Amino acid sequence: MGLLQCSDTYWHFAGQCTQCGHCMHACSSLTTANMTLGEIAKAMLEAERTAECVEDLWANIVSNERLVQAVRGCFFCTSCKNTCFAHNDVCDLIYHCRIDFQNLGLIPRGAWSSVQVDQEWDIFTAYRAVHGIYLTDLTRHVATEDHAAETDCAVAFFPGCSMAAYAPELTREIFATIEGMAGKTTLIDHCCGSPLKSAGFYDRAEALCDRIAEEVRASGVSLMVCVCPGCANAMRTTLARAGLNVDVVSLAAFLAQRGFTPKRALPEGPLCISKSCQDRNGTYLDELCAALGVGPETPSIFHGCCGAGGAVSAFDPNRQAQQADSKLSFAPDGATVVSMCPTCTYTYAFRLMDSPRPLANKHYAELLFENQFDWDTVFGQLNSMWSGEYGAWLAQVFA
Amino acid sequence: MTEATTACTQPTVAIIGYGTAGVNALIGLRNAGFTGRVQVFSNIDTLPYSPILTSYYAGGEKTYEECFPWTAAELDDLHPEVVRATVTNLDVDARTVTTAEGAVYPYTKCVIATGARPMCYGFPADCGYSPLVLRTMADAQRMKDAFENPACKNVLVSGASMVALKSLEAALNCGKQVTLVGMNPHVLDFNALPETAERFEAGLRAKGVTLKLGCTIKTVEVVEAPEGRLKVGFADGSTGYFDEISVSHGMRCNLDFVPEGALELDRALVVDDFMRTSNPHVYAAGDVAQALELVSGNKRIVGIWKTAAVQGYCAGTAIAAELAGAQPSPAAAYEGAIPTNTIAVNGTLFISAGTMDVTENRTVDVRETDDMTVVYVFETAADGTRRLAGFNLTCDTDEEGSVAYDTGAMLTMRIESAFAR
Repeated sequence: MGLLQCSDTYWHFAGQCTQCGHCMHACSSLTTANMTLGEIAKAMLEAERTAECVEDLWANIVSNERLVQAVRGCFFCTSCKNTCFAHNDVCDLIYHCRIDFQNLGLIPRGAWSSVQVDQEWDIFTAYRAVHGIYLTDLTRHVATEDHAAETDCAVAFFPGCSMAAYAPELTREIFATIEGMAGKTTLIDHCCGSPLKSAGFYDRAEALCDRIAEEVRASGVSLMVCVCPGCANAMRTTLARAGLNVDVVSLAAFLAQRGFTPKRALPEGPLCISKSCQDRNGTYLDELCAALGVGPETPSIFHGCCGAGGAVSAFDPNRQAQQADSKLSFAPDGATVVSMCPTCTYTYAFRLMDSPRPLANKHYAELLFENQFDWDTVFGQLNSMWSGEYGAWLAQVFA
Repeated sequence: MTEATTACTQPTVAIIGYGTAGVNALIGLRNAGFTGRVQVFSNIDTLPYSPILTSYYAGGEKTYEECFPWTAAELDDLHPEVVRATVTNLDVDARTVTTAEGAVYPYTKCVIATGARPMCYGFPADCGYSPLVLRTMADAQRMKDAFENPACKNVLVSGASMVALKSLEAALNCGKQVTLVGMNPHVLDFNALPETAERFEAGLRAKGVTLKLGCTIKTVEVVEAPEGRLKVGFADGSTGYFDEISVSHGMRCNLDFVPEGALELDRALVVDDFMRTSNPHVYAAGDVAQALELVSGNKRIVGIWKTAAVQGYCAGTAIAAELAGAQPSPAAAYEGAIPTNTIAVNGTLFISAGTMDVTENRTVDVRETDDMTVVYVFETAADGTRRLAGFNLTCDTDEEGSVAYDTGAMLTMRIESAFAR
């Protein structure tokens, strides 16, 4: 290994890039950086080639503002990959760049201190602790003060960070539905590791996922139900790596396959589905349409990132806002924007709070179940955390 | 024999051909830890170029320098010994490569990555005019010079494949009047079903292109008439005058240096999951390799850039493992490919993937919007499951990052996952 940990990846990528330049025009970050994906790989190699020591390498990268922009400004939305004639894997490239950036200290701690989701405290666990959202009665596979660890569960429900923290009653309602349909269920309310990957901690993300796999093994489940496509992808990869014979399905697919009747009517007006970036081949989208009972041509679909991907907000908050606006611009007034990932719903809610529009903003689970996200309460509680009795503690933990 | 003839005192890898597949074989070797000698045989005196970009150069959209994806410094990092020579013989028993100068180079392992060349099947060979073709930088330079000549007003493009359409675009970009003649009823040959082809044809006509489909060139005379220097007779009895003719009538593997019977040859060299040919010391990658195509389940040529790159890398990785005394890792095996194509001609976009072969167990579903037509080819398997086996898409606009590109990528990945091993 040379000065860079991931040179092989850059070589591999550089070999597959024609330098046609199409990717650059598919992404505002690449356009700003005036770089193609292949040039990112080649710039990393160039920085290494002309460095004699790590300090040189650091300086070479820091002085290449275009490279920093291109690497830190990536949402992992794959819009560039989709436009690439060769469909070269931008995620693999940028994740590895972030690893090298992290190794070199090029990603400030402030960009990731609150999302170290493999540690005891991150923004989600802190929020839940401050506001008493424990859900421990549902985590049956883990021994608590109230119950022993149970190893005979049938299903693991994986709601993801945002849903477990910001919609605990919806989480409970879904949990009860899954249990009613498929038997004894346990809750796995960890993070899938996505924020760690975005921050360049790929190994830590994998280690976190491996710990989740051990919990899955201990629980005895044969089925895992995930709300978010990104979580489902991460869990599918994790459980396969662990050699576990556990099916991972989306909540939408689970409900559709079992003939679930939605507990509420679809909203009036157009439905605009914000397709998750992680739903690369559109399978989850089809499953969502089936669960909602709409044909694939009924809703408008908009592709691309909501703005939350890739921890770009820590690098360029304006770009996150612009991206959210760009996506929401596809929805006409009076429409309901339906997200597949709760973090997308959160991002849109945050944006609409600052820049109100006559849109309904819903996660798809909210169209199927009684309980809803209450974003006014969530944002109020998020803000109050920092100034209340826990403020000093949070400031210290996330410094 | 020359001084090049020495026994292999150290493991030596010969890479014949220095294009996409060859470069990626070199990268694969080095990434997998092979530090030994790699001799790359190149019959051109430039850096490796991108054949995809040649039409952009011919049409003035790219500079000459922009057609070379890798710099000399980058390639030097990989420590190749570049032999500027044309290979004329491969002796798989003696494990030697012979060049046109008579130099003989021994190898331990060899990668054939010599690509393909355009053919002019059916074009009147002795008419006194050598048609424009498009593959190499030299081809592109000739096309560019022809299209930039103010005396050239009318261009005939013969063929309706991707290469033909990119040649057509280059001519349009240079302000020429363009006629396309193709033997099939629609453009895009075997990549498009009628609904998407027709939409694409409408886009071409809107740009002033004259289409003569279901027709071929029968005669060509050099006449130097005011209407054009070439008088072309078509199979339908009509005639026309043109200043240049660009021909894209198919490709042929560059395998003239492989003796008959030395390696298993079908349409190209038949290879296994690690790009090994029928000889365990000879590998093939790119246009000369016939490897697993996922939708058919058969070994076929998938002559696209990405496939060449992936196959080259696979070959390099496998060779590095074998030279280290190990078996190649199953994880490094070639996963197979599906045919994919993306082409935009002056704002009209076409994307396809998978099969367009509508057999008994396949059905076609056409969906149209204001600016886009998508044709889906669904396949019903023996167990009754239905999966997407192919699609093509034509969009009236070509905007990077658009729904059309997202849809194309999404459907491509769906086919890949449906047919992955």
